[in-house]
Amino acid sequence: MTGIPLTVIGGYLGAGKTTLINQILREPQGKRYLVMVNDFGAINVDASLLVSADEDTIQLSNGCVCCTMGADLFLAIGDVLDGDMRPDHIVIEASGIADPAKIANVAVAEPDLVYQGIITVVDGANILDQLVDHFVGNQVRDQIRVADLIYVSKTELNDHLSMQLATISKAPILKSDAATIEMLLSPSTPKAPDQIAAPHAAYTKWFAEADVEFNRNTLIYALQDRPKGVFRMKGFVRAETRMLSVHVVGAHIDVTTFPNDVETGLVAIGLASEMNAQDLDAWWAKAKENARTPYSML
Amino acid sequence: MSDIILFEAKKVITMDPNRPTATHIAVKGDRILAVGGADCADQWGDVTNDLSLSDFILTPGFVEGHAHMMAGAIWDFAYAGYHDRIDPDGKLWSGKGDLNSVIGDLSEYEKTLPEDQPLVGWGLDPIFLQDERLSRKHLDQISETRPIAVLFSNFHLMCVNSKTLEVVGYSNETNAEGVIKDDAGHPTGELQEMAAMFPVMRRLGIDFRSLSQTEPAIRSYAKVCQRAGVTTVTDLFSTLTDDDVTTLTRITGEAQFPVRIVPALAAVGAAPPEIAQFALKLRSMSTDKLRLGAVKLMTDGSIQGWTARVKWPGYVGGQPNGLWNTPPELIYELVEEMQRAGIQMHIHVNGDEASDVSIGAIEAASRKHPWTEARHVLQHCQMMGVDQFKRCANMGICTNIFANHIWYFGDQHAALTIGNDRAERMDAVRAALDAGVNVAIHSDAPVTPMGPLFTAWCAVTRQTMSGRVLGAEQCISVEEALHAITLGAAYTLKLDHDIGSIEAGKIADFAILAQDPTEGDGSALKDIDVKGTVSSGVVHLT
Repeated sequence: MTGIPLTVIGGYLGAGKTTLINQILREPQGKRYLVMVNDFGAINVDASLLVSADEDTIQLSNGCVCCTMGADLFLAIGDVLDGDMRPDHIVIEASGIADPAKIANVAVAEPDLVYQGIITVVDGANILDQLVDHFVGNQVRDQIRVADLIYVSKTELNDHLSMQLATISKAPILKSDAATIEMLLSPSTPKAPDQIAAPHAAYTKWFAEADVEFNRNTLIYALQDRPKGVFRMKGFVRAETRMLSVHVVGAHIDVTTFPNDVETGLVAIGLASEMNAQDLDAWWAKAKENARTPYSML
Repeated sequence: MSDIILFEAKKVITMDPNRPTATHIAVKGDRILAVGGADCADQWGDVTNDLSLSDFILTPGFVEGHAHMMAGAIWDFAYAGYHDRIDPDGKLWSGKGDLNSVIGDLSEYEKTLPEDQPLVGWGLDPIFLQDERLSRKHLDQISETRPIAVLFSNFHLMCVNSKTLEVVGYSNETNAEGVIKDDAGHPTGELQEMAAMFPVMRRLGIDFRSLSQTEPAIRSYAKVCQRAGVTTVTDLFSTLTDDDVTTLTRITGEAQFPVRIVPALAAVGAAPPEIAQFALKLRSMSTDKLRLGAVKLMTDGSIQGWTARVKWPGYVGGQPNGLWNTPPELIYELVEEMQRAGIQMHIHVNGDEASDVSIGAIEAASRKHPWTEARHVLQHCQMMGVDQFKRCANMGICTNIFANHIWYFGDQHAALTIGNDRAERMDAVRAALDAGVNVAIHSDAPVTPMGPLFTAWCAVTRQTMSGRVLGAEQCISVEEALHAITLGAAYTLKLDHDIGSIEAGKIADFAILAQDPTEGDGSALKDIDVKGTVSSGVVHLT
């Protein structure tokens, strides 16, 4: 896949999306991030990082560009895809009431984009009230329901809150800005084990050979049944007559025909606290055993 | 030759209570000098007689208080809707009552296209088509080699042919929400919501932005207005970049340009104080035929899409309550900031919960920043009852009511959305007038066709497509309807000092009609032949 990875940051008004974005902009990433925000005025970066700034775009010395999306987000995305700046990664801040899935879905549909997940920011201090709010409760709930990662801001995560969130979404819960940013900025296409960096504080990686041929539906079934804690999984697997490209982010699973013959294998990235390599090894061994069994017989 | 032009008409309906009818209007430059009989301008010196309109009825130029500029350029695409419609150049596009006519008519149109151009249609509304759902299989009958996309009338859905699916790479492996699939797992061609439609629009060159603000789009919009007798039109939810304003200023500045445009800035994409600042800057750039400075706020969705925020008992089909486009908390914040800065707001409210919240937000803002001349306008107002209208009257809030919905969607509302008894008091123009609210009525073109006389007919007769009278208690008189499409709408735009009636001192904007709208019971309003307009004293016959 050659498309540009796209991540959406969702969450209700005041959840802490802007704080998170301001931190992303300060990170020395070495990649060209394009961050599209609602409220340009709330963007706050150190003047020493500024390369240029005008009414609707700021350029930073770390390669980041931050711009307003204006009245129509999709037009803005089209402008990026058809323009000269080819960012390495697009991050979109959804508006406070928006359904982030309706935005992120464009990355699934558009061949020039790659879905990279939805991070929903939750105001830990107010979320329980917001969830039962007569006016916005359902929409706040939906923002959490569609999340691939949940970040609880503004308060320590307690058991009660975790349980409430777990009734809405199975997505892993992040507890700090730092961990959230690490997950968000984690490499989107690690290809081989030797490229995997030393284990990181927030996330961990897993790699496996895919040396058997799969039945496509059986593979999808196995991916749905993967151990918890995996945020993203990528790779190539051989089917009977073709190569399949595997792209998993949260609950989203894409298995599509890939035109070229490439080396097979799977890479996963997950929260260090939740993803366990032994579980994944065992799961994958079993999946390979059943690789050719029609999934209706599993 | 005198520079005073004396127009003679069969009859002039002035909407000025001091002189309800006349036969002559004297015009000097772009303004009305005098109204009355053949001698009305004698005091002012010699006149030049203009008899070109003497067979017609003149009324104040109509004011369309809620429409969108894309109503013009959307006709660059092939019309595929259920109702007969006339394009900006006067060509009749017949309605398509079943899928066979959709396919047949688009096939004819396809033959006229250059080889490398995709076929784009618009206006399809499956709610009116009783047979099976449109799919790629139907569109493949038109062409298997040319990409085809047909937009639905709500612009939230489209259907494409197999060639388009191939161009965007949609297949049975596609996992995107909104790419609808059949039982065998293949895309049917139907695509729902923007994310799924985006890759098609990008590749087929369907660009909503070029449907407004570009020069051809502005000129096309003017033609639509002229055909409908409209001399002042809104563009509610405008983006207005510096380039857009430059283009609009240049074109509307031409003496021959036949319509006054009132864009309302979309209040999104920035923090409320920045939006306010931008609106104030725009206001200072206003010219006679380009009136800038108002803003448009979105609140909820649409009733027929079940996305309007409605109060108890909700939707009859048990659908969950609708969606906010702007959460109430932010509505309060925006309203307060605009009120503080002295910026007039047009606020989209379809469901009665959305109107309730918006009225509450204006009330809260008014306590902090009193402004009796604000004339904020609630737009659509489809489910408002007497209680809400009275609150509006008390605070000077105007309502612009979506009367066209009664005919286009009234039957659906009674059967499928909010149920019979609330449908009978939808778009309650009678209740609003009785409560003392300033009322306008509108088309929301291109959602329904622009045609103030048709809109007036809807408010007078309240007939639905099935012929039913939906809530006879809410019918209004012909005079009240004519007021709503002239002075009533002008008041909502704060332009009633300049337009909306034919009286000395106002701008010479008239609608030229073949028949007298005040004759009869109003049942013929929609059939009146509009011959053109006079805009700022210039005659534009179509």
